[in-house]
Amino acid sequence: MEDVQVVAMLVRRCVAGDAAAWEEIVQTYNRRIYNICYRFAGSGSDAEDLTQEVFIKMYRTLSSYDPSKGAFVTWVTTITRNLLVDHFRKTKQDRVTDSMDTAASEHEDAQPLSEQIQDQSAPPDARVRQREVKEAVHTALGKLSPELREALILRDLQDMDYREIATVLRVPEGTVKSRINRGRAELARLLQRTYRQVM
Amino acid sequence: MPDRKQDRTGDAPHGKEMQCHEFDLLLTDAIDGVLTGVGLDRFQAHAQICKACGPLLAEAEAGHNWLKGLTEVEPPANLVVNILASTTGVDSQRLRTPAGVTQPGSSWLERLQASVLEPMWAMVRQPRFAMSFGMAFFALSVGLTVLGVKPADVEQISLRPAAIRHTYYNTQARVVRYYDNIHWVYEMQAAVRRVKRDVEPAEPGPVKQKSNKNDTTQQPEQKQERNYSQAESHLVLASAQGLSLDSRDLPVVSVTTYRRLV
Repeated sequence: MEDVQVVAMLVRRCVAGDAAAWEEIVQTYNRRIYNICYRFAGSGSDAEDLTQEVFIKMYRTLSSYDPSKGAFVTWVTTITRNLLVDHFRKTKQDRVTDSMDTAASEHEDAQPLSEQIQDQSAPPDARVRQREVKEAVHTALGKLSPELREALILRDLQDMDYREIATVLRVPEGTVKSRINRGRAELARLLQRTYRQVM
Repeated sequence: MPDRKQDRTGDAPHGKEMQCHEFDLLLTDAIDGVLTGVGLDRFQAHAQICKACGPLLAEAEAGHNWLKGLTEVEPPANLVVNILASTTGVDSQRLRTPAGVTQPGSSWLERLQASVLEPMWAMVRQPRFAMSFGMAFFALSVGLTVLGVKPADVEQISLRPAAIRHTYYNTQARVVRYYDNIHWVYEMQAAVRRVKRDVEPAEPGPVKQKSNKNDTTQQPEQKQERNYSQAESHLVLASAQGLSLDSRDLPVVSVTTYRRLV
């Protein structure tokens, strides 16, 4: 975890114009932010653009960070989440939870998700299969509604505690837990037809 | 999927049995493994008997397991460089080379450049510093232009004490000469004015036109002229200099006035 004083000092140096401090912040948090963006947006190119936007926004508003109000990582995650929500609204990717039997998109030959996954049937190599499973989970995650998806990403992929997630999402802790439960269940339902053996 | 509301009512015949909403609240704790003891027993008991909560627990656990299998992805290699370029405008060459790799055969000048000059240059190239320098340069150039300082003069400045003293006396002499010249010009102008006054005959000063709009002393006459002198001849008393109004032998002049066409 981040040392509050070290991070606060880093931020102060950065606000004072120390380019090395800013570089350190970028080095420390780019991986985390990129992963959140990648899991939420679904594509690597979008995630790269969004990560850059997050850091530009951070750079402009770094002086507004108050260490007494919360951890820096929570502040960074809040900025990321807000930008992702804005991006989602702009692109109007209304990805409500789809059924496995509904067509995913026009670019995927109008096949339902279950058939797409089944078409990649039983590759002999275990590593290839593992990679395909990951891709299927990633695809299924993208099918969840944004509210469930962001809660799952922050909890299960970023290991944030419920209080931090509640701060980032600006909802009560109980709502966070409820969304996580529903999100996990929805994800399992989306994947269970293909990969029963994993469950 | 079974209706959880129906089960919720029929699910708690005894006081000690867990309700579905309690189950919902404890579900994350149970999956995280922080639910223990009696709480865990009641939770498991409810999951076994409730037709809605049992499958929910199984699905939530499965979803959790699916997500555990997702590992972190590697960000693109040039991401940090791009971020730094888009925020500070700094394209750090150091980030492009692997960390800890020393360039063989680099001279002390190159090392100095890499360790001191490049970071300084990177800081100077930041937009805020560039703006500050730009504003300072603009203010300085405007100030020097107003003071009449030319770049060519700056080159000739010598900072030796004797030269500074010499410059001081030179400047002082220049100021005195300038003042004297101005004084001489004023004297010349005054003399010229005096001569002109003496040579030229005295002219009557211009008649002052009263611009006061409230002064209506001239208006009745004009109005009369405008209203009643429509191409008709009438008598006008001519005024004569030096004659009093009391004299009876005033000359009579016949004047034809025309109506002014507007």
